[in-house]
Amino acid sequence: MKNQFIINLVPKDTFIHRLTGKTKVLLFISFIFYTLISFDLRLLLPLFIVTFPVLKSLKPNWKVVISLFAFIFFMNFINLIIYWLVDPNIGNYYTNSKNTILITLNTHYYVSLQTLWYLAIRHLKLMTSFMVSLVFILSITPSELAAGLYGLKVPYKLCTIVSLAFRYIPDISNDFDNIKISLQARGLELDKRRLNIIKRLRDNIFILLPLIVSSFDRIGTIANALDLRAYGLLNKRTYYCEHEPSKYDYILRYISVIVILLSFTWIVSRLIWVPSTRMWYPFEG
Amino acid sequence: MQKPVIVFDQFCFCYDSQQENTLNNINLTIYEGQKVLILGQSGSGKSTLIHCINGLIPFSFSGTITGSCKVAGMETTHASIFSLSQEVGTVLQDSDAQFVALSVEEDVAFALENQAIPRDEMIPKVKQATDKVGMTDFLKQVPFNLSGGQKQKVSLAGVLHENVNILLFDEPLASLDPLSGYQAIELIDQIHKENKTILIVEHRLEEVMAKSIDRVIVMNNGEITFDGTLESLLRLNILSKVGLREPLYLQALRLANVDYLNRNNIQNVNKINLDDVKDFVEKFKIDKQKSYDFDCDLLLEIDNVSFAYEDTNVINNISFDIRKGERVAFIGKNGAGKSTMAKLICGFIKPDQGEIRLNKKNILALSIREIGEKIGFVMQNPNQMLVKHLIRDEISFALLQHKLSREEIETRVNEALKICDLFSMRNWPVSAVSYGQRKRITVAAILALKPDILILDEPSAGQDYTHYSEIMDFLDTLNKEYGVTFIFITHDMHLAIEYTDRAIVFADSRIIADDTIYQIMSNREIIDRANLKQTSLYDLANKIGISPQRVIQYFIQNRRSI
Repeated sequence: MKNQFIINLVPKDTFIHRLTGKTKVLLFISFIFYTLISFDLRLLLPLFIVTFPVLKSLKPNWKVVISLFAFIFFMNFINLIIYWLVDPNIGNYYTNSKNTILITLNTHYYVSLQTLWYLAIRHLKLMTSFMVSLVFILSITPSELAAGLYGLKVPYKLCTIVSLAFRYIPDISNDFDNIKISLQARGLELDKRRLNIIKRLRDNIFILLPLIVSSFDRIGTIANALDLRAYGLLNKRTYYCEHEPSKYDYILRYISVIVILLSFTWIVSRLIWVPSTRMWYPFEG
Repeated sequence: MQKPVIVFDQFCFCYDSQQENTLNNINLTIYEGQKVLILGQSGSGKSTLIHCINGLIPFSFSGTITGSCKVAGMETTHASIFSLSQEVGTVLQDSDAQFVALSVEEDVAFALENQAIPRDEMIPKVKQATDKVGMTDFLKQVPFNLSGGQKQKVSLAGVLHENVNILLFDEPLASLDPLSGYQAIELIDQIHKENKTILIVEHRLEEVMAKSIDRVIVMNNGEITFDGTLESLLRLNILSKVGLREPLYLQALRLANVDYLNRNNIQNVNKINLDDVKDFVEKFKIDKQKSYDFDCDLLLEIDNVSFAYEDTNVINNISFDIRKGERVAFIGKNGAGKSTMAKLICGFIKPDQGEIRLNKKNILALSIREIGEKIGFVMQNPNQMLVKHLIRDEISFALLQHKLSREEIETRVNEALKICDLFSMRNWPVSAVSYGQRKRITVAAILALKPDILILDEPSAGQDYTHYSEIMDFLDTLNKEYGVTFIFITHDMHLAIEYTDRAIVFADSRIIADDTIYQIMSNREIIDRANLKQTSLYDLANKIGISPQRVIQYFIQNRRSI
């Protein structure tokens, strides 16, 4: 069974990969939070730019990364068009500025500078959170994720669910393929060219029963294997993959905390000083 | 005076879901440092006995216990499964499912993590444990890249670092190819020498016998029916009565009318005392008339087929033919290409190059469904094939998909039910029948399509000797009486010898041999290259000084004539 995900199961040897799971999870949480708090170009753009050299330092499989980037970019773009179709005047509401109309299609549909600005910033915001998530996913292994969450006081039984899922999902998807093939050989038509989608979905249900039965067999064995190795013995546990933090870990953990604090300060200060502004708009006329 | 480590006293156990006791009146004392083999067929209670020792009973399986079971001085009903895990290490049968972590080192460290042992103490322990099983070079490997044998070694390492004194192995050979199985037995033997107490639960006596055993316990219907040395067990000649396979070399001696029961060292094929027996050549006389000669019509032709998966050649320019009514074994180690070849034949995947012809017609352009009408594939695990509630519906499923007429379906279903001896059970729910019967249902479901060839993936997996013989004898009848052609994908050497005529041996994505089964089984070089293991017939032949080919051929001819 080949691993089909873009995630790594074995950590690579780069600066970021060498960090501990806890540091990686903290960095991810802090920067996602930072991205979510504003529609402000001055905050989003620097982070967006920084993610590129960071991504490069991870030595990823570019073929996969680029196609994923293109896919997300395109999907978000469609999202923006739908936003515009629903309300061409949306920028006016967010920028709190009078419409500067650039192109008029008819009485209802027009393109304004404010809407373009809003949609561009929205796109940047989504792409930034995508880039932060991508860097996170590429830099962490499922075991480190479990260990990192545990380091942030998440109960270890939840962490185990995360790592067990990554362990067994490929096995289950393999079972799924085998069951599907054997049903096809018995005459079930699952070829998408020959069937409409509703019949195909209905026939796919046949695969589920044997999949559930064989997965339950497996779950029984896994439960025994966990019990026999004293899983659940104590209220705490340690993680083999969570190595000693280096000085860079400490530095980056402090940085994460500072980013979170600054983000809070930003929210609070916006609420106090400029409560009516929804986004930063430089072209106020 | 030896110290008792496991003591059962008047012990009975009954699962909550069952009416009758699964273990009945067990009195058993196992002493420190013993290596004990527990034999018995499915349902004999041998796995339940193991669960009573490691604490899964009563921790995970609830039931009624009477009597006492003490392990390392602890009464198991009072001790926790965790305190027992400090004394008892268990290696489960399913080497894949028990691998719970995402790398070798983490899986070995799993029990240490649960005890919250600091990481710097774990590292040397993990290293030491993997050294013992020879897996130190694979520390960073993910489970998806390991073979069954390697995963099993990891599981063993995962309990070794605990300094446990008792090790339990639940069917350690079940999912391994013959060579890996032999290596597992060697490894267990090596660990036994460190003064560990070892219990092996198996029904494959011949393979476990490759290394010495101190004591054998035979279980039948929840009771201990034999407790003694291997030598005395073999002398008693009771194996077939409790549904176990007698070692092949002893079967062969019996067929050849050599009285072996009163000889010395019958537990070891290399040491058995046969000095006074003369004329072995005469005793192992081969009937030339019955020798294998197949010149029926060509059925399947594989012509220069190649297939690559993610830039690696899995099938490299392979050609062979299969004739009507043949019984062919695909053998070779895991990953050598035998399963891929079967998938190519069934059209699940398409070759990059070459042609596959059935009845002289190229089948590459046909869909999986169309090929499925002519070539049936029975998966290893019947639970992965059964989709319907009732046995009858399961068998008509494929026919309904092919939109046959109502009458045609009716006749074909009844026919398949009758051939497979399932007619009286036709309205039973599938979930109510045993594993072996489910296997039979899957065969019936495929047979109803009237395929020219049946391909079975590891038909003997997960079944004890009695059920194995039952299903294989049944398939053999299909071959003899209905002329069905069979391909068995297997690494069970017994199956290959007992139920096939010809073997195609895969190694490193090529075919390294294609010959009659007795020629292959007596060819040491091929056996070694394909990660297989000689059966004891080969050793017997060397011992008595006649050609292995003769002994194996004699065995095949005469075993089948019984």
